[in-house]
Amino acid sequence: MTTPLLDPSESPVIAPVRRRRRLKSGRVTLFVVMVGVAVVMLYPFWVMIYNSLMTEAQFLAGKGFSLGSWSALTSVIPVGQEVLSSTIICSASIVIILLIGLPAGFAFSKLRFRLSTVVFLVIVSAMMVPLQAILMPEFVNVTKLGLTGGYAGAVLVYAALGTPFSVFLFTTYFRGVPDELIEAGIVDGLGYFGVLWRLVVPIAVPAIATVTVLQFIQIWDDLLVGLLFIQNTSERPITVGLAVLSAGRTTSIPQLMAGSIISALPAMVVYLGFQRYLVKGLTMGIDR
Amino acid sequence: MAEITFDGVTKIFGDDIRAVDELTLHVAEGEFMVLVGPSGCGKTTALRMLAGLEEITSGTLMIGDTVVNDVLPKDRDVAMVFQNYALYPHMTVAQNMGFALKVRRESKVEIDRKVREAAAILRLTDYLERRPKALSGGQRQRVAMGRAIVRSPQAFLMDEPLSNLDAQLRVEMRLEIARIQRLLGVATVYVTHDQIEAMTMGDRVAVMRGGQLQQVATPQDLYDHPANEFVAGFMGSPPMNLLRAGVEGEGENAFLVLGAQRLAIPASYNTSHDLAAVRGAGIVFGSRPEDVEVLAGEGGDAIMTRVERREALGAEILVHLSLLDAEGTSAFVVTDEGKVVTRPSTLVAKMGPRADVKVGDILKVRFNPERFHFFDADSGASLRRV
Amino acid sequence: MTLARRRQFAGAVFALPAILLVLGFIVVPIGQAVYYSMTQWDGITASWIGPSTWNQAFHNPTLWTALRNNALLLLSVPFALGLPLAIAVLLHQRVAGWRIFRSIYFLPTAISWVVLGLVAQRFFAYQGTLNSLIHFFGFSATNTNMLGYESTALSALGITFIFTMIGTNTMLFLTGLATLDTSLEEAARIDGAGRWRIFRSITLPHLRRFIQLAFVMTVIALFSALFSLIFVMTGGGPGYATTTMEFLIYQTGFNQGDFGTAALYGLILFVLTAIVGVVQLRLIGSDE
Ligand SMILES: Nc1ncnc2c1ncn2[C@@H]1O[C@H](COP(=O)(O)OP(=O)(O)O)[C@@H](O)[C@H]1O
Ligand SMILES: [Mg+2]
Repeated sequence: MTTPLLDPSESPVIAPVRRRRRLKSGRVTLFVVMVGVAVVMLYPFWVMIYNSLMTEAQFLAGKGFSLGSWSALTSVIPVGQEVLSSTIICSASIVIILLIGLPAGFAFSKLRFRLSTVVFLVIVSAMMVPLQAILMPEFVNVTKLGLTGGYAGAVLVYAALGTPFSVFLFTTYFRGVPDELIEAGIVDGLGYFGVLWRLVVPIAVPAIATVTVLQFIQIWDDLLVGLLFIQNTSERPITVGLAVLSAGRTTSIPQLMAGSIISALPAMVVYLGFQRYLVKGLTMGIDR
Repeated sequence: MAEITFDGVTKIFGDDIRAVDELTLHVAEGEFMVLVGPSGCGKTTALRMLAGLEEITSGTLMIGDTVVNDVLPKDRDVAMVFQNYALYPHMTVAQNMGFALKVRRESKVEIDRKVREAAAILRLTDYLERRPKALSGGQRQRVAMGRAIVRSPQAFLMDEPLSNLDAQLRVEMRLEIARIQRLLGVATVYVTHDQIEAMTMGDRVAVMRGGQLQQVATPQDLYDHPANEFVAGFMGSPPMNLLRAGVEGEGENAFLVLGAQRLAIPASYNTSHDLAAVRGAGIVFGSRPEDVEVLAGEGGDAIMTRVERREALGAEILVHLSLLDAEGTSAFVVTDEGKVVTRPSTLVAKMGPRADVKVGDILKVRFNPERFHFFDADSGASLRRV
Repeated sequence: MTLARRRQFAGAVFALPAILLVLGFIVVPIGQAVYYSMTQWDGITASWIGPSTWNQAFHNPTLWTALRNNALLLLSVPFALGLPLAIAVLLHQRVAGWRIFRSIYFLPTAISWVVLGLVAQRFFAYQGTLNSLIHFFGFSATNTNMLGYESTALSALGITFIFTMIGTNTMLFLTGLATLDTSLEEAARIDGAGRWRIFRSITLPHLRRFIQLAFVMTVIALFSALFSLIFVMTGGGPGYATTTMEFLIYQTGFNQGDFGTAALYGLILFVLTAIVGVVQLRLIGSDE
């Protein structure tokens, strides 16, 4: 053994190089693992696309390729009408959720009135009540009101279920807005309605986007409400169409998959486009 | 334009928080009135009552000839500049400035003209299309000012508008705001906790403490003749030296007892101040740091002190001195803790930058005999006859 | 009216629609459920029976099966949290292309659970991907049909549930990791702490609030969002093997027409989620 200082492996010049190489091989492993996870997460899309590109016979045989299921899709599943229903229900519910949630959030955060704290707590607690827990009375009430004939019943139920969250989110958001901004509006000559419309709504755009995106995905993807609160099959949303067909067990799987792709597309587009707002909404109240 | 009158205005929060207590104050047309006092003394509350954002518990508040106690903010025709500016983030500078006019449905042309005029005064013309986010702190401050100016209101209300700026900008904006106010001649109530702002900007200054008005006067008057110990200690930096003392002797022979030392009181103070009443009892003697002078040679009416600390500030030196007692050692007899104002255990002298003093030196100092201040030891009120 | 009164008035007016909607569609139905749970009710006429209905309900073995299924499904929660945590930590290493991986991992979150249920059905089916995989790895004699047997159907449901939660929870944890101050990690590394040590003593404690939130959200989903999956995958079967509380409510009400008992089951579900809800309110509340 010569002096340790001359041992190249101990040399400070060499050490970082070796370290970097080890890091690099670690990175490669990491990359491979991530690709593996990606394969798993993409699996549903593969199933849908792969299976939809077969005819019923090809599917049963387990091989083959055809666009037949797609071209005959509308004769089996009224996708056009169902997507339209989904769109109408979604938009109407979200509009109500925003119209009701935003002013309420403003009221609870900036316009303290009698009992406002208690009322706010009640509304926020309602966020935790699952529809199933009150399903029977809800169903009977809405039916008795004669609202299951069109979209109204489902829209109102979605609006009611989405309102607590939207109130909570808007309240939290407006709490971060300085009181002085509202007072500046008052001194500038606005009334409270003017403040709401001309100052509060414009600055709430990010919160509006968050609520819209979260509720869109929630409602677009939901099954239970559409299944129970919409009587006419000609008005049912796409998730209900797919679920009911699949429960029938006589449906061609390839066409079901084609329908699934159509149902998944809008939500995915919204999702990829507005991911940022989604994350914000999910962690509202704890990230800071 | 109008004058503003507070008459016994009181604000009580909850059951017992007297934020503003019987405030009586008159702001003349075109006057720049500064409301100054330590944090929590009720300045903001007073201003918010004037703006109409806070209800008045009792008393009368007038703008011009109208009692405005129950008038809504939008009908008071006052403009407010907030501490955090409260600019509307979704509007451009021009829209921010013109918003109040737009609310009042003035014509587009008219709004545009007024905004441009104000922007020119504030040197904001190049920034009119920007959003507040894209502005520096100083520019935002100007926009907040602009929003007030554009309205040509009865009065400007400003709540610590400079406190979010860095020191240098603050000095600049101090001059700027004063200039603009004089240019427009609109009655202004300006709230600050910074006595330098109060001194440099106000036509008159109202000092508040614990919700109560202490004194209203021109800055110089306030500085030269503080109405009480609090004002004396609050205005001026470093603050006035306030020493616990006794008064003995009469007329020509009256003298001040400072610990073990004595100091003759010039005869003129017997007439200008009510010293007879406190003879034999304790008083508080005050002298500003710049009125403490070092005496060379023998004799003269002076006291002996020791240098405890020395702070060189470049243009001047602050020398902290303690009084010597009979044995010639430092004494801290002049302390008076637990009083409403903490009277320092030492006194501070402001000296020229080349003054040759070291810690431990024994100095003979005198107080400028023309600028003695006397306060009642209990109430803190000035003993000066008015 | 003074400004303060105007403010309070405006506050009450702005909050009123939200209050009415939540009262009418959530709070009142809870009260109705309490009443109807003690009646014989078919949705049209209700005849009063009294608290004895509760006694009877608890003697119904199906209720206990459903509760047991819910309890067993809770076993999937550690996986529904652990896997996303691991994935989030991987993503946080920022290997090449991590943004794309992130989007891929989140993408299934956008898809309706109805569709994911259809896909899962394909996965577990006799001719599905699972068996193909088993054969691929050389066990050509082995065939599974997890959804077909009482012993395995619930596991298949649990596995699907874990998959569906991965996106949301990964997103939560990744947000949490993004708020982690990297200088802390660096300081620890300089102090000689290994990777595992850093994860245990710095990363995990930092993520505490996010893990709590994910836990609550996962459990609530488990109690109240499985409906779509069950509806398309198993219909609650075979037997009652995959009937959870929420599905039991649906079946009792809409398949058996026993609205009274379904309302009662709803209240049981309500109490279960209320317990979780109180925990969540604590978490949100401890912020203020
Ligand atoms: N909305 C309020 N409710 C209760 N107390 C208040 C309220 N606003 C101010 N106060 C109290 O009134 C006093 C004066 O406050 P303020 O006018 O803000 O003081 P300043 O502006 O001089 O710092 C303080 O003690 C403060 O705590
Ligand atoms: Mg203040």
